[in-house]
Order: sequence, then structure tokens, then C-alpha cells
Amino acid sequence: MVPRRYPRGFTRREFLYFGGAALLAAACGPAADVTTTLAGGQGPSTTGMPGEPQISFREPTQSISGELNILLWSHFVPAHDSWFDPFAKAWGEQVGVTVNIDHINTAEVPAAIAAEIQSGQPQHDLFQHIAVLSQHEPSVVDMTDLVMEAESRYGTMLDLTRRSSYNPHTEKYYAYAPAWVPDPGDYRKSLWEAVGLPDGPSTYDELLEGGSQIFSDQGVQLGIGMSQEIDSNMALRGLMWSFGASIQDADGQVVINSDETIGAIEYMMDLYSNAMTDEVFAWNAASNNQGLNAGTLSYILNSISAYRTAQDDGLDVADDIYFTPALAGPETAIVASHVMYNWIIPDFESVNVAAAQEFLLHYTENLAPVAWHSKLYDFPAFPDRVPELNNWLDNDPFGSNPPTKLQVLKNSTDWATNIGHPGPANPAVGQVFGESIIPVMFAEAAQGNMTPAEAVADAESKINAIFNDWRGRGLIG
Amino acid sequence: MTTQTAKKPRYLADSPRFLAGLFMSPTIIYIVALVGFPFALAIIYAFTDITTGDPSLEFVGLDTIKAVWNDTVFRRALGNTFWFAVISNLFVVILATGLAELLTRDFKGKWFVRFLVLLPWVAPVSLATLTWLWTLDSVFSPIDWLLRQVGLIDQNMYWLGRPSLAFISVVAVQVWRIAPLAAVIVMAGMMAIPKDVHDAVEVDGAGPWRRLFEINIPLLAPIIAVAVLFGVILSMADMSVIYVLTRGGPTHRTQVLSTWAYFKGIEGGALGQGAAVALFLFPVLVGLTAVILRLARRREVL
Repeated sequence: MVPRRYPRGFTRREFLYFGGAALLAAACGPAADVTTTLAGGQGPSTTGMPGEPQISFREPTQSISGELNILLWSHFVPAHDSWFDPFAKAWGEQVGVTVNIDHINTAEVPAAIAAEIQSGQPQHDLFQHIAVLSQHEPSVVDMTDLVMEAESRYGTMLDLTRRSSYNPHTEKYYAYAPAWVPDPGDYRKSLWEAVGLPDGPSTYDELLEGGSQIFSDQGVQLGIGMSQEIDSNMALRGLMWSFGASIQDADGQVVINSDETIGAIEYMMDLYSNAMTDEVFAWNAASNNQGLNAGTLSYILNSISAYRTAQDDGLDVADDIYFTPALAGPETAIVASHVMYNWIIPDFESVNVAAAQEFLLHYTENLAPVAWHSKLYDFPAFPDRVPELNNWLDNDPFGSNPPTKLQVLKNSTDWATNIGHPGPANPAVGQVFGESIIPVMFAEAAQGNMTPAEAVADAESKINAIFNDWRGRGLIG
Repeated sequence: MTTQTAKKPRYLADSPRFLAGLFMSPTIIYIVALVGFPFALAIIYAFTDITTGDPSLEFVGLDTIKAVWNDTVFRRALGNTFWFAVISNLFVVILATGLAELLTRDFKGKWFVRFLVLLPWVAPVSLATLTWLWTLDSVFSPIDWLLRQVGLIDQNMYWLGRPSLAFISVVAVQVWRIAPLAAVIVMAGMMAIPKDVHDAVEVDGAGPWRRLFEINIPLLAPIIAVAVLFGVILSMADMSVIYVLTRGGPTHRTQVLSTWAYFKGIEGGALGQGAAVALFLFPVLVGLTAVILRLARRREVL
């Protein structure tokens, strides 16, 4: 007799077997969560994949209670947020703090922080942003003690993140930066193989030559924005530094008006003329992902999020996307970090400072799960906390083909730096960033509205005004 | 002959003065709290060096306003604001008058057409503008696709990447957004024109153009002016369309005062300067408001 088939092709025996197993899992699931959370501080695990790091827990060093309200961005890798919220709430349950979390679009975070601080009664105790928050220094808690405690537990913080959270002029940690995101070049291997560069470009000269040839032969352009948005700001700073130019020197003096800056602009004009279209003047935060995954860009400067999106969406192009480290220019080979996490605690009476600090220590304790659940998007500022990171990059647990594709990120701290390089990320640098003075400088020259020298002089006058303003407030040297 | 003298109300609830105050108070509280207070704050901020990160106020006289004025981006934004408002509303008037003329006629499916015309106005502005962002995309614009299909272009237009096209694009979207409001205002005016005027015109044998230019437009002039002034105020004070489409780019060619106030004050952190930029709109908007009220009163008299 032919066994009776149940929907989706199960036999009755299989149906009962799997159904029973599912019921058992459902019955055990919540109990396991509660047990681990209460007994061992284990937050809910979401991937269930082999090698997934466990959540660890240390008793807070200070007495904490009440509510902890956190405002942070909606992560570019959605899996992170699915994990983060239960993780934070589980910690709260364990230490007797009610944790409330609000995620908003990253573009809205600056306005939200500004509004809450201006109100004098912030509704959140802890804010996170993906860019430096140095302009808030006068209104936030000094994180020096927290950084010292974290370093005593987890080793020395990366210089990159320290310089993105510490003001050497006032000797204050205006933010806590426990994690960051590298910004490699993402290229389409099949396109670059055709021009004799199967490993992608390694220098700006190769980018120009190979990119131009791809554009003329295959009709696929490069994607380096010259628009008033975050990715253009990041990419063009990397170009400037690699050409030996910078906005400020190590002491915070404006040095943008240099032959090196003019050289970088002239290079970009060449790149635009030969390998890009007017699309780069309309660049927005989604352009990298959209163009790379649609197959209309040969190279972009971005984190791995565009690639992860291609993987998640099952796009064929995912297997064709590979990564390069920072391109070498005449002077060096560095780029800005793609994301620099800054956590700040407003310095107001109503704010639960102790709970916020303890949560940040717990977060730092668990930087390995943070990296894992962001699918290796987030990198630790305390590398000792994620000893498996290089193994994961050698053999991507999230299905890269080949699995070694992310190896190039292993030494990303060697070619990543902070905005403001070679100086610190101070409020003046932040305002120059916010007003997109650098992308406009490049675009004015590329569109032929100004000569490179005029564009630099125009940018210099704006930057000088901003630096003088912040210098007058005593926040930069 | 008896004379009626006003009696003092017996109960408070019978007092017209009390009731008037009571019923007006929600509006007054609303305006004071959500318009008056922020506006007063903006004036105060414009004379201070306040930043987003430091709520303390230190008065610096006219320094903040001078710094704003000396900024070349501000001057470009000032010019753009003027042209953006004027050009947008020129097209709004033409479109609105035509639409109103159409919508006051009797034809099958009129209500559906009215609904379609009003749709851009009732749709949330950010959502509607996002749709335009995709429609004007550099690579995947359906407009480009259409133009390519009919052989008018052989490469993409880059609507938001080329300065002149970017300006035309933001103006076009603004017209699309505001025209329905203006059309409704003009339509209401048209419907208020006495029917016997139209009957007399018909008896005299006037055609549609003559009726439009010699009857409707002269009679509607005050109403059209009200629609224009609403449109100008919306174009000058609202930042949604430009913020979503271009963020003021490329090279500040679509930057207007409202967006520059945001970038300067919020994203740049210089809250005082942002407030000063926004305040430059104030004299213009006050003047326009005065004109609106004057025209509205004139209309009442008519």
C-alpha cells in the first residue's frame, strides 16, 4: 500500500515525527531562553550556526536600576537589530534595568540628538550614531573612566577609534567608540579580469586606467560620488589623504590649500571624464548598493553591506563582487572608516548614566556576537574581544563564494583612519563633513565651474571660517 | 417704544466674551506653543552662537548674521529660493487655472478626475518625493527609458546629476505637488462666479478662450493671487522636495534657504547660524502674508 502523503510531501510517519519535534522545540525554546538569561546571562541566539559566539556576562561594578532608553540607527544589516534588541533587553532583565530601544533611520539621528539635547530633558539615556559626534562635547558625559575600565578589561583600544572619540585639546572622551566598519573597495571581478586586473585595482593609477577601459569597452562606469552625502564625503577624503592632502594637520591647523589637494582634484577630474557619468553628482546613500547589485558599477568604495545585500537577495552578482584594500596614491594608501560608532550619554540630571555606562561595558564584552550578528560588518575597537575574527574572515561563515573573499579585511586597521586625519575628529571637522564642503570642492572643478585652484581656495575660506568659530569656543587647538 | 439694553449674563456660560475666549483658546495655545515659541527661539538663536551640542546661550550681536551673509552658499541659496518660488508658481498658476476650468465642467468620471488631481496634494510629501527620486534615478529612470524607446535620447539624462536639469526637476516636482491646492482654490472661485454672468456670456456668443481671458481670469484675479501666495510661501518655507531629491546639490545649484538652514544648523551643528538662515525668510513671508490677508479682505468686499 502506498503511504498516504500529507501536504508538502510528508508521509504520516514523517509528519508526526517532524510535528512532534517542532512541538518539542517550541516548548523548549522559551524555557531555554529564560533559563540562560536568568542563570547565565545568555541572550537569545538568532542564527543557530556553528561557531556562533556566545553572549557573556559580568556583574555590573556599580549599583544600577531604573530605565535605560537607547536611541540608535537601523543597522544596514537588519540581522543585527533582530539580535541586538533581545540582547540588550536580556541584559536589562539580568541587572534589574528596564531597557527600551528605538531604532531610526541613520539620517534622522543627528536631528534627534540635537533636539533632545536642546530640550534640556533628553528622552534617551544613550545615543548611538554612525559618525563622529564631537560637536556635542559640551553636553555629554566624559567617557574617560569608561574607556579606562574597558581597556583594563579588554586591552588597548584601537588608535583609529580613540581618535574618533577623544578630543586631545580638551582631554575629554566625548564619545565611546567600541566598534567601527572598514571601507574596502568593492569591485566586479569579471569586469576587471577583462582589463588584466583580476585582483582589482591596487592603486589610483590602476583605477583610472582599468576603470576607463572598462567604461569604454564594457560600458560600466565607476561609482565614486561627488555629491552632498556621506559616501562621497568618505571616498574623497581617502583620495585626498592618499595624494598627501588633508583638511587639517595633526595640530588642527587648516592645510587644505596645497598642491596635493589640487593634484587629487585633477585626478578626480580625469577619473570623471574617462570612467564615470553625471550620476556621481546625484550620488546618495543608496547609490553604492543599488548600482553594484544592479551590475551598473565596476568599482565602489563601500562596506560589505552592499555585498551582503546581494547575497541575501540571491543575486548572481554576489559571486562576482570582490574586495580591495585602500588604493595607493602618490603618498600613501588609506581610507576613512566607513562607519565610526559613537555612543554618547547626555550630561543631564535625568539621565541614567550608570546604567548607560554598564550597558556599554556589556556591549564591549560581547563584541564577538556584535561582529557575528552584523555578518562581519561591525569590527571591534578592542580586537582581543573577537579572537575568531580573522578565522571568520578566512572562511566566511555567511556563505561567501569563495569563502576566503573577505580575507582582505584582516589588516584593515592598517589602511583605515579617522575623519580629520592626520588630526583628531574634532567639531570643526564634523561641521566641514556635515556641510559637504569637500564633495562640493571636487564637483565644482569636475563640472568646470571652477579651476582646481579656485575650488580649493573657495573650500579653504569656508573651512577657515568653521575652524575659527570652533577655535573660539575652545574645542580645538 | 421699547429700548433693548444689553443685560449682564447671568451665568459665565452665557457670556459671549467668555465663550469666544474659551473656543479660541485651543487655537491660540496651539499657535503660541507650536509656532510662536519656536519662532521666538529662532530669533533668539540668530543672535547667539548656540550649537546643537551646547544649549547655553551667549549673545554675539550681529556676528552670526554677518557670518551667514558672508557665506557664498547662503547667497546662492537666497537666489535659488527666489527663482524656485517664482518659476514654480508661474507654472502652478497656468496649470491650476487650466485644471480648475476643466474640473468645473460636467463630464463623465469628473469625481474620479478630481480625485486624481488632488492625489499629489494629499499624499505624504516625503513618500511622494521618494517616488520622484526613483522616477528621476540616474540609471533606472522610467522617463529615460521612455525617451530612449521613442528615440529622443540615446543616453540617460541624469536628471538630478546635471545642475540645470536638477533645478528643472525640483521645480517640476514642486509644481506637481502644489498645483492641486491651487486648482482647488481657483475652482472654488470659479464656482462662486454667478451663473447669470456665464449665461450672459453664452448669449453674447463668446468662445471658451474669450470666456477664460475676459471673464474668468479678471474675476478670479484675487483668488488666483491667494493661490499664488500660498504656493510661494510653501515653496519658500518647505524643504521636503529638495531635501529628498538633491540635498541641495549638485554643487548647491538647488540649495534653498530652508535646506541650507537645516544643513547648517542641524547637520553642521551651528544652530545659531541655521536659525539666522531661516530668519532671512521672515520679512519676505511677512510681506506675503500681509498681501494674502489684504486680498482675502478685498475678495470679501467683492
